[in-house]
Amino acid sequence: MAEIILNHIKKVYPNIEGKKKKGEPEKKSNLLVTEEGVLAVQDFNLHIKDKEFIVLVGPSGCGKSTTLRMVAGLEGISGGDLMIDGKKVNDVEPKDRDIAMVFQNYALYPHMTVRGNMEYPLKLQKMAPEEMRQRVEEAAEILGITQYLERKPKALSGGQRQRVAIGRAIVRNPKVLLMDEPLSNLDAKLRNQMRAEIIKLRQKIDATFIYVTHDQTEAMTLGDRIVIMKDGVVMQIGTPQEVFDHPANTFVAGFIGMPQMNIFDAELLEKNGTYSVKLADLEIELSPEKQQRLKANEVKAQSITLGIRPEHITLAKKAEKSLKGTIEVSEMMGSAIHLHATAYGKDTIMIIQTMNLTEEEKNSISIGKEIHFAFSGNMIHVFGKDGANLEA
Amino acid sequence: MIKKDAWSKNEKIFLGLLIPILLLFFCFNTLPLLKGFYYGLTNFRGYGNYDFVGLRNFADLFHDVRVGKSYLFTFKYAIVMTIAVNLISLVLALGLNSEIKGKNTLRGVYFVPNILGGLVVGYIFSFIFTYILPAIGAATGIEFLSNSLLGSTRWAWVAIVIVGAWQGIAMNTIIYISGLQTVPEDVYEAGMLDGSTGWRKFKDITLPLIMPFVTINLVLCMKNAMMVFDQIMALTKGGPSQSTESISYLIYNNGMSGGQFGFQSANAFVFFIVIVAISLFQMTVLGSKEEQL
Ligand SMILES: Nc1ncnc2c1ncn2[C@@H]1O[C@H](COP(=O)(O)OP(=O)(O)OP(=O)(O)O)[C@@H](O)[C@H]1O
Ligand SMILES: [Mg+2]
Repeated sequence: MAEIILNHIKKVYPNIEGKKKKGEPEKKSNLLVTEEGVLAVQDFNLHIKDKEFIVLVGPSGCGKSTTLRMVAGLEGISGGDLMIDGKKVNDVEPKDRDIAMVFQNYALYPHMTVRGNMEYPLKLQKMAPEEMRQRVEEAAEILGITQYLERKPKALSGGQRQRVAIGRAIVRNPKVLLMDEPLSNLDAKLRNQMRAEIIKLRQKIDATFIYVTHDQTEAMTLGDRIVIMKDGVVMQIGTPQEVFDHPANTFVAGFIGMPQMNIFDAELLEKNGTYSVKLADLEIELSPEKQQRLKANEVKAQSITLGIRPEHITLAKKAEKSLKGTIEVSEMMGSAIHLHATAYGKDTIMIIQTMNLTEEEKNSISIGKEIHFAFSGNMIHVFGKDGANLEA
Repeated sequence: MIKKDAWSKNEKIFLGLLIPILLLFFCFNTLPLLKGFYYGLTNFRGYGNYDFVGLRNFADLFHDVRVGKSYLFTFKYAIVMTIAVNLISLVLALGLNSEIKGKNTLRGVYFVPNILGGLVVGYIFSFIFTYILPAIGAATGIEFLSNSLLGSTRWAWVAIVIVGAWQGIAMNTIIYISGLQTVPEDVYEAGMLDGSTGWRKFKDITLPLIMPFVTINLVLCMKNAMMVFDQIMALTKGGPSQSTESISYLIYNNGMSGGQFGFQSANAFVFFIVIVAISLFQMTVLGSKEEQL
C-alpha cells in the first residue's frame, strides 16, 4: 500500500549568490523569483493512488527532479504537505520513507560488485544472508543480469548498469519507486527496449511509481497519468488520452504529440448559439460536443488560437472550401508523408497517409507547389489568446 | 614502411623536456647517492686523508648504539605522526567538505602551516614551549605545563610530533578534500535512500572510494616523518640526552661536525634504502586495498 498525496507542495531555493547546483549549467529559465528565492516548484497538488504509475514530464529546468527529490527526502520541502499512506512525511528521513530511487547516472556503488550493490540495502536492513541471496538472485533473474552478478559496474554497459540500478531499487520491495530520467543515457534502441521492460517490471512488482522524463513518448507509453510541468508550475494532470485529446493549454498541446500540433490565429464566431471558427476565408462549424462545452463555459466570440494536429489535416481539392499553403519540405516516411508547409505565416505540418492518395495527387506534392488542405470541426482545439483551452 | 630513423616532432619535444630533467635528477640525486656510497666505503672524517675500509662502516652500523637509538626514535616518531596526521586531517577534510559557511576561507587558513618553512615553525613553537606554556602552567598551577616539554627526556618527542603534525596536516587535509570531492553526490544520495548514514556511510562508501588518496597520504606522510630534521634542529637539537635524535639529524650532526663523514655516509645510504623499501611496501599493501573502479 502506498498512497501519496502532494498537497500545495512548493520548493524555494534561497537566493545565494554564486551558489549553483552541481552539474547544473547556467541557465535562465522563467522561474518565479520572490524575495525568499527562486520558486522551483509552485503549488503542486497531486493525489497518487496505490500502485499508480505517474509520469512527470516537462522541458529542462521545469522542476521535475526537484519534485521527485522532495518525495524521496533528498530535498527539503519549503511549503505544503507530503503524505504517504496518510502520514505526513515532510521531515521523515529518506531511509524511513520506504522509497527507492533510480538515478539518471545510475549512482551505483563503484567499489562493489553487482551483487554487492544489490545486497547493500538489504544488508543495512540486517536481512539474513540466505534470504538476501535469494532476493538478489530473483531480482537479477527478472532483469536478466544474473551472469553479471560478480562484476563491478565499471565492466558493464550503460544499459546493464541501469538494470543493476533498477535491481538495487527493487530488491527491498519498496512501497514507492522513483525514477529520474532512467533511460536518458541510453541509445534510442536500448531506450525502447528498456521502456518495454519497465512496463513488464511494473506488472511484477507492487509499488507506486513516479517517473521523471522529458521524453513525451516515454510519458505517453508508461504513465497511468501524466503531470505536465513548466517553469515550476503544473500545467495539466491527466491520462495520456486526456492530455492528448484535451490539452489544457497551448503549452501542453505543443508538448504532447509528435510532430507538434499546428497553431493558427483565428476567430471564434457565434451565430444563433452555434460556434464556428474562421481562419482566413474558411469557416468551419464546430462539432456538437465542442459546441456544448463552449456553451457551458459561456465563451464569447473572440480572437482565438486554433490548434490542429498534423494527423487530422487532410488534403483538399481546389474547388472545395479549403486553406492553402506552400510546400517547403516533403518527408516520405513510407506509409505516410510528413509535409511541412507555410500557411498564413505559420509553419504547418501535416501527415498525409499515402494509402489514400492517387498517383496524380502524389505527383502534385513537390517542393514549392501550392497545396490545399482542410480539417473537420471535431478535431479543432480552441484556445483563448492567453493560451488556455476554452473548452476546459 | 614506417621511417624509423627520423624522430617525429612530438618525440623531439618529449625528449627536449625529459633530458634536462633527467640530467638535473642525476646531478642532484643520483650522483650524491653514489658519492655517498663511495664515502661510505672510507674512513673519511670530512677533512684530511682517508683510506678505503671496505664494508666495515656498513657492518658497524648494526652494532652502533647511537644509530640504533636514532632508528628507534625515528620509527616511533614516524608511526605516531603518520597515524595522528592522517586521522586528524581526514576528520578536518570531512568537516571542511561539508556544507558550512566560509569553508573556502577556512580551507585557506588550514593550509597556511604548509607554506611556512619548517625551521620558522620550529622556532615559533620552541618559543611557545619554552616560555609561553610554562608561564601558563605557572599561572594556573598545572604542574604538567610548568616545565618545558622540551626539557624532558620522556616528553620531548611528543613536542616534536605536535609541531610536525601541525605542519603536516595542512597538505594531507587538502589531498583528502580533493579525494572527497571525487565521490559523486548521487552515490551518497543512493546510500541515504538505502539507509547508509553516519559511520556506515563513511566505512562502506566514503573510505573505499578515497582509498587511492589514503595511500598517497600515508606514503608521503611516512616518508616526510622518517626524514624529520627541521623540527629537531629548531626544538631540541636531538636532546635531551639524545632522546630525540632522528636518523637525519644524527647523519648531519656527526657527519658534518663529529668527524664521522664516512660512517654517516654509509648510514645515509642504508637509510635511503630503508625509506624506499618502506614506501614500496606501503604502496603494494595499500594498492591492493584500492578498489579498481
Ligand atoms: N540548489 C539550487 N539553487 C537554485 N536553483 C536551483 C537549485 N537546484 C535547482 N534549481 C533550479 O530549479 C529548477 C528546477 O530544477 P530541476 O532539477 O528540478 O529541473 P528538471 O525539471 O529536473 O530539469 P532537467 O530535465 O534538466 O533535469 C531549475 O531551473 C534549476 O535551475
Ligand atoms: Mg532533472
